[in-house]
Amino acid sequence: MKSPPGGAPSEYLPQSDTELAELRLLQLADSALPIGTLAHSFGLESLVAAEILTVGGLRAFLRTYLEETGKLETVFCREAHRLAAGGVETFSIGRWRELNDLLSALKPARESRAASASLGQNFLRLASALRDSVILREASGTPAVAGRGQNIVHHCAAFGLACGVLEISADRAALAYLHQSVANLVSACQRLLPLGQTAAAQILWDLKPTVLETAQASASCRVDEAQSFMPLLDWGAMEHPAISTRLFIS
Amino acid sequence: MTTPATLPRHTPTVAALSLDFRRDEESSRTLLAASVQEPPLRVVRAFDMEDGAALAHLHNVSGGLLGGDRLSLNVKVGAGARAQVTTTGATRIYRRRNDDGATTQLNRIEVGENALLEYVPDSIIPFAGSRFSQDTTICLSAGAGLFWWEILAPGREAKGERFEYEFVEMKTNLWVGGRRAAAERIRIEPQFRDIRALGRLGDYAFWATLYICREGIDARVWMEMEETLRAKFSEFAKPGASLWGVSTLARGGLVVRGLTHHGRDMVAGLHSLWRAGKKLLYGCEPILPRKVN
Repeated sequence: MKSPPGGAPSEYLPQSDTELAELRLLQLADSALPIGTLAHSFGLESLVAAEILTVGGLRAFLRTYLEETGKLETVFCREAHRLAAGGVETFSIGRWRELNDLLSALKPARESRAASASLGQNFLRLASALRDSVILREASGTPAVAGRGQNIVHHCAAFGLACGVLEISADRAALAYLHQSVANLVSACQRLLPLGQTAAAQILWDLKPTVLETAQASASCRVDEAQSFMPLLDWGAMEHPAISTRLFIS
Repeated sequence: MTTPATLPRHTPTVAALSLDFRRDEESSRTLLAASVQEPPLRVVRAFDMEDGAALAHLHNVSGGLLGGDRLSLNVKVGAGARAQVTTTGATRIYRRRNDDGATTQLNRIEVGENALLEYVPDSIIPFAGSRFSQDTTICLSAGAGLFWWEILAPGREAKGERFEYEFVEMKTNLWVGGRRAAAERIRIEPQFRDIRALGRLGDYAFWATLYICREGIDARVWMEMEETLRAKFSEFAKPGASLWGVSTLARGGLVVRGLTHHGRDMVAGLHSLWRAGKKLLYGCEPILPRKVN
């Protein structure tokens, strides 16, 4: 191997599988991933418009979000990871569709449900393009079926499934999914509220212990035990279609 | 003087109430064809309604539900039948004593082909120190319709109790035409998770869910209904005192969420939406239940 200019070959360290998986996870959880996350507030826009959510209450609101919706979605993320982790021989398309069907039923607000499905389908399509995988192809369904909206794939499930295929650990996937969820909501709030860059960064920084606790709590929770109670957020998401001037699709 | 630790042990009640509504082909009226009633659960009788439907009042003769009680409600509405089921009063969940387990309620509901069920009970009032767990499964056959609501009160407000119960859990599965339309999995534990937190109830005290469903209705019709009902909110919603939201379900219907400061505003809102929903889906107004004690 040719030596790099000014340096010995030993400066180039071999890549480990763990480091490679970590880099892939960073990319999949990046808010810049081109799947459309920046277009959705999941009802926060209505809460801000009604002056229910303010900068002062944002940190506490997001903590509650992590404890409730965040935890529920992470349970499903882990379950999807489990479906993929055993490989193509054990992957069950029936169980995959049931998982996503249950998620649709658990999301009462139409726009938020559609947003989650849009992000999920886009994420899975991108993941399939980045990594050839029978599981990811099968989970995406055929283009015709997906185009007719007959193969609903939610973001949290798609994220878990892709991480399972990529042999990223379930715990790392859960942490990353939760972190990107709350980071995207903080980002939405920067456009909705007088929330500066440093203040936004501080909120996200301060929420990390809650992200950790939620990820840990989700590990011992089965899909049939996952619960979420956020009626005010439900209202915000249901009310969103009525807002006359909107920054966000949901 | 007895202390709570020395109160006599309560033997939990295990009881079921099964109601079978059928359409009488000759008269086209709905009859309560069969019922199984285990004390303390009672339905005195079904009343004939002007539109041919049958009205039944669920009654717990013991006055309320005690810790550890396990009750089940099974309702079948046969093909073409129409039933309205309500309660004689609020469902009181009493404080648990000693090592009583949670009070549990299991609901299994089947609405047959082209049948209609309107389940319009009074609120659930969990007393201080109570534990309540409810599991509901509702299945709608082809053409079946449903109006179903649940109201959760914060406690015995007149006694100054607000969110002093230990927990309320509700698990609901709604199936329309053999496919899952809605699911709820909630656990409210005020002492461990702040019920007043923004995102949960905030400043509001009463919470309700209303399902308006009918199998076989096109998705575009539900979208139009969603808009129509949303426009209705302005007729009864009180800014600052209530919040109402409506959305189409994954399939087969609509869900409404209500948050109010006062129980009377919740009931008034639900009645308005029920009236509007039934007019849109069935071309007629509902007959509000006569209450009997």
